Amino acid sequence: MNTSCKECGAALTVPNDAIAGEIVSCKDCSTEYEVAEISNGNVLLKPAEQVGEDWGE
Amino acid sequence: MKLTITFDRLRWEEKALSDAAKAAGLDASLIDVKGLVFEVPKARPEFGDVVLQRCISHYRSSLLTQALEGSGLRVINSSAVAETCSNKLATSIALSNAGVPTPRTMLALSPEGAEEAAEELGYPFVLKPFTGSWGRMVTVVRDRATMQSLIEFKEELANPQEQHMYYLQEYIKRPPRDIRAIVAGDSIIACVHRIAPPGEWRTNVARGAVSKAFKPDKELKEIILSAAEAVGGGILGVDAMEPESGYIVHEVNNTVEFKGAQSAVDTDIPAQLIKYVAQSSRR
Repeated sequence: MNTSCKECGAALTVPNDAIAGEIVSCKDCSTEYEVAEISNGNVLLKPAEQVGEDWGE
Repeated sequence: MKLTITFDRLRWEEKALSDAAKAAGLDASLIDVKGLVFEVPKARPEFGDVVLQRCISHYRSSLLTQALEGSGLRVINSSAVAETCSNKLATSIALSNAGVPTPRTMLALSPEGAEEAAEELGYPFVLKPFTGSWGRMVTVVRDRATMQSLIEFKEELANPQEQHMYYLQEYIKRPPRDIRAIVAGDSIIACVHRIAPPGEWRTNVARGAVSKAFKPDKELKEIILSAAEAVGGGILGVDAMEPESGYIVHEVNNTVEFKGAQSAVDTDIPAQLIKYVAQSSRR
């Protein structure tokens, strides 16, 4: 599934087996997106949450 | 059995756990918790019989586990275990009280107290945040001048828990590697060395450490399982060091990441963890 980076405009490919919640990042500018929804082969992305101080194990 | 795996950032681990649960014939679903709203305490049948808590944010995970437990659901790991593991001071106390070898640890409640504790421990020692992961802000403090600068930086932090309070720990002289054991209940699922990358003293996989499988000896096995039991048990990552004096446990992780360990071992870690979830839910 193809879309584009909202930050830099580069082409962004989301794997066909991706599921909602998965993180994809732009190969050009490294901006991270979360897959919000997939329907009829179309993918909707939203900005991923940034690393928090309390993230991890 | 219906299993829900909760997440707020879908990593390889959560997908692998979901696949393993389905392969084991469980009715499993992955739920992104960020959009959920809870009226507490109220039954939430959509979560099924048991919840495997896999949120990456400690505070979100902690509050969500409380809400789910309040609704009568069984959550792995429990909120009590999560609280002990996420607070390094609580972990140190639990390990010491259970007789598990762990580095000498001091708590200071002011900059002046931190300087006093540093002198008491002696240089070098390790300064760590109370909550945090992946080795962030974990610092070897080698002399008094560095400590004074670190105190100045710490006092400027916005986080009230880290601003005026200090967790200081004995520096353990060890090889440039540590031990990560993945534990489920009373079984060690996998055991690896985490070898620090060149130029880095920390051994976190998030910092580039490489995992290598090894077989723990009897003494290490006992220490690992005692450490897991000391914090309340469940699915845990026990981290240990191997100085010449014997094994020492320095951390027990609550939402254990195992991608690094899986790259080094043949055991199917997610399948074994799911097996534990299924078995413990039947009890």
